[in-house]
Formats: sequence, C-alpha cells, structure tokens
Amino acid sequence: MSVLQYDEHSNSFLIGIGEHLYQYTNNQTKFLVKCGDVPEIPDSEGMEKGKRPRAEGPAYITGVATCGECIAVISNNKVVETFDREFQKRGSTVAIKRPTSVQVTDTNVVISDKSGDAYSYDLQLTNRKYLLGHVSVVMDMVLTPDQQFLITCDRDEKIRISHFPNCYNIESFLLGHEEYVLKIRLLSPHILLSVGGDRKLMLWDLVTCSLLQTITSDHGDYTSVTYTSPYLITCNSRHVTVYKLTDNTLTLTSELTSDHDIVSLAASSARVLALTREPKLESYQLSEGVLSSRSEVEGEFDLSKSVDCALPEKKKGVRTAGFTEYFERKRKRIEEETLKDETRKVQLSR
Amino acid sequence: MMKVKHPKKRNYRQRAHSNPLSDHSFDYPVSPGTMDWSKLYPRFKQGDEVKFCDVGCGYGGLLVTLSPMYPDKFMVGFEIRVKVSDYVNDRFLALRQDDEVYHNAGVIRTNAMKYLPNFFRKGQLEKIFILYPDPHFKKCKHKWRIVSEGLLAEYAHVLQVDGLVYTVSDVKEVHDWMVEHFSNFPLFERYEPPEEDRAAQVLIGSTEEGKKVLRNKGQSWTAIFRRVDDPYLVSRGAS
Repeated sequence: MSVLQYDEHSNSFLIGIGEHLYQYTNNQTKFLVKCGDVPEIPDSEGMEKGKRPRAEGPAYITGVATCGECIAVISNNKVVETFDREFQKRGSTVAIKRPTSVQVTDTNVVISDKSGDAYSYDLQLTNRKYLLGHVSVVMDMVLTPDQQFLITCDRDEKIRISHFPNCYNIESFLLGHEEYVLKIRLLSPHILLSVGGDRKLMLWDLVTCSLLQTITSDHGDYTSVTYTSPYLITCNSRHVTVYKLTDNTLTLTSELTSDHDIVSLAASSARVLALTREPKLESYQLSEGVLSSRSEVEGEFDLSKSVDCALPEKKKGVRTAGFTEYFERKRKRIEEETLKDETRKVQLSR
Repeated sequence: MMKVKHPKKRNYRQRAHSNPLSDHSFDYPVSPGTMDWSKLYPRFKQGDEVKFCDVGCGYGGLLVTLSPMYPDKFMVGFEIRVKVSDYVNDRFLALRQDDEVYHNAGVIRTNAMKYLPNFFRKGQLEKIFILYPDPHFKKCKHKWRIVSEGLLAEYAHVLQVDGLVYTVSDVKEVHDWMVEHFSNFPLFERYEPPEEDRAAQVLIGSTEEGKKVLRNKGQSWTAIFRRVDDPYLVSRGAS
C-alpha cells in the first residue's frame, strides 16, 4: 500500500497519515480531506440490505491513486472513496474485503483486496464488476497506461498479467520470486519492476515476458520502492538505494542510511519523500541519482496516527506439516514386511 | 533391485478434506521452465511435455485407466493429501515393474489451486480432468471449491485453445455449479464429445469414487467443456 504518492497532474505529493489526506508542494503542506467515513449506501445500489459489505476495523488511509480529474482513496476499514480535484467527494462505498491497492482512470476505479480479488467500479462507485481472483492476497497492482493490461502480484510469489477489462484472459505470468511479491512498478510501457520478500529486485520485459535483471539485496527486506525516470529508489527499512535505468539495465548510483525505518517512498524529478514508521516525513533532494540535503518536513500532520507497515509472513520458514512421522512409520512398515517375507522364504526352503 | 509391492489402501488412509488455502509445505518449481519432469517419468526426454492433468487425482484410478489408452501422452495427477499422493506414487512404481506401459503417468503432491501456472506454461495442456471434486457444501467453504470464477482463468490459461475439461460429480449441486461456472465463462463452452473420445467413455467407471457410486447404485453427472478464443478480443479483430 502506498500512503505516499507523487501526483504528476498537480505536481505535488499526496500524503495519507491516519484518516487525513495532505498535499505537499513547494515546502508547504496543506490538509485536504478526511477519509474513511462509512457511507450510507442507498437502496438503489441494487444489493439486498443483508448482503451489503460492512465497514470494519480502524479507519486509516492505505492507498491513493490519481488521474487527471479524479483521486481515489482506499482505507483500512474497507471504505473506498473518489474525489474531484477540489477534493469534493464524488463517490463512496464499502468494499467486500479490505482493499490492498487502487488504480484510477478517467472512467474506472480498480481495487484489489486481501482475499485476492480485483474489482472495477465507475467513478461514482455505484456499479461493481468482478475482474479476477488470485488464491492469495493481492499485494500490489498496476494498470498499464494504455489500459490494455492489469498486472497484479500476490503472496504466492506470482505476478499475473491479465488483459483489461477482459481480465479472465491471462496474458502471462512472470514467475521468479521465491517469496511474496511486495510491489510492482511500471518503469516504462514495456518494463516492469518487482521487489519481493526474497529480497530480490527483478526487472521484467513485458513484450517477451522474460526476466531482464535480478538484484539481491544485502540490507534486509524491501519496504518500498518508487520511480522517477530514469531513477529507481528503493528502501529496505533504513537503507535507501538509488539506481539508474539505462538500456534496460539498472546500475547503482548512490546509497544512504536513514535514522528511521522508512515505510513508503515517493519521488518527483527533483525530490524524494520518505514516510517513516514513527511517522515522520523526510525530504531529500535528488540530483543526478544522488540523494542529499535531508530535511524533515514540518506540517500540520497529526503524527499521533501511526502508519500501517507490517510485512507478510514468509513461507520458507513455515513449519512442515509433520508428515515426517508418516514417512518414518512407512519406512518401518516396509522394513518389517521385507523381514517377514525373507524369514518366510527361509522357512519354506528348509 | 527390491521388488516394489502393490500398495494397500489401508496403509494410506487420510481424511478427505484438506484446506487448500493454507500454506502446507510443498515442493513446486519457481516456473514451468525449471521443472524437472524426468524425475517423475523415467522416459521423459528433452522436448517432451505433460499434456493431461488430473486435478485432485485421489487414489489414481483415472490415471491407471488413461495411461495405457494414451501411451504417447505424458499425464500427471495433482493430489494435495500426502498419504494419498504417496499411495499413487507407490502404485505406479509397482505397475511399472509389472508392465512396460505405465511409464507415462505420475503424481505430484501439490495444491492445484495455487500452483498450476508454476508447472504448466500457457496453452500446454490438452486435457484437464476434474472428477468427483470435494463438494465443500458449506457457504463458508465455497472458496475451497476447485471450480470458481477466479480459477477458471487459470484453467483456461494452461489449456490450449480447443483443449478439453472433463468434469464428473455424483452430487447434482456440484455438477450444476460446475456447469454454470464453466458455461458462463467467456473462454469455455459446453461440448458434446464425439464417440471417438475415449477419455469421455472412462470418466465414471475408472475412479475409486466412481466405482463406489456405481456399487451404491447412485448417479453421476458429466459435463465436458472446450477452451475457446476470447470473444472480447475476437470481436475487436485481435487474437
């Protein structure tokens, strides 16, 4: 989930802390709107009352997406909202399961959720359409700019490229990660980046659906990633790395260590914002692939609201199902049977 | 070499239901290209591919029937239960000793709901079999069902266009559920197989489950579906 987002349409950063959405631009922060209010769903929605999804859990922003005329926000209590550029609410609904990521276009809002499903809505959030289902949590999602493909990644190490809006038609899987795939980002129309719980960063060619490059991190688990052409900025809690993308290859340009655990990154062409666990907001200048001039962003943030940043559990350490006992008993049984057969053979031959 | 005995089911009994959504520990390849099928099939060569998959193969009855019928096709059963998949494995080891024929069938202990795309590339399979799937009657267990709108996309993905899915159930509600889901899915259509489709002939009589239904004078319902081109793309002149 991204609670920090660079919005190229307004050349500003959108920041979600707790229920509050803020805008940061030119060293100024501004409170925009409170999110996560549970809507009164009118009967005209066409769903029987008893079957409507109910909001549950604390309300705090877990994702933001923007397009020219619309901003979509998802919250932890399952509320999904759309706003126009004046931050007047356009629509509001409760998702079936807790949403995990959101994308928005001029006509649709697409969300993925914790049970692995993706849905699309109109911008007023009145009509919901099922798009696809993974068998595990969808961790991140990208809609290609030409809106031809929806790319989703899950906790079962998979990246799935589906057609859009005919998402029942899978174009390809990108398989290579050995743990959950945390984040995916489109670096260009044909290049996809993914980072996973296996501490690997992978670069994929979307035309041939093949792996271009793998980088394994020595600095612990990835917590966030952001891209501002041609620079990719990743963080593994306190460790921040900057790469440059040239000719389909990433090369390291700089690294630094923060004093705080970073949970979310966003970047414009000259600035990188980092939201930390506390939460604090750090700002860096980005120049020629090097981060400098770190400063703390002051603003009217309600910093008493903590930020959700738990990473999923990894599988490789999972306790085995205890069937070693079964195989041990089986081995003994076969041994005993063989012994019995041989004794009988010996007896018969006497 | 020690002679492998034919396994006795009483040594491999296991509870019928297993939660497919939890992370049991499985071995599965990172991707289809990294799977070493020669470990399963002694005669597997470079360029060979598995073409039939029995999803939830149970004690292996269908595979034992299909194996000599299609000697040139490699076929695999997926079974989530450890003891049951172990039984099938031992069964084929014993069968191969007795008869040259059974070298083309094998079993993998895995979760078909999660890992089909890890084993098979796009359009690889010619036939998928879903025989007597666990009904998971309770509404809260519906997401454990092997046929769901979400999973149909994966079946369509690993199956070639014009490939076939064979389904059987002795529970009318499950049969109706499968027919409804497959028929409403844009990439499948209901299919009446011709007389020559030998796989269709053996669907009911070859599995342990099917034989039990016949013994108890119960009824089984079958439905076969063909994988078709995406009508959405066809209507746009793409493919």
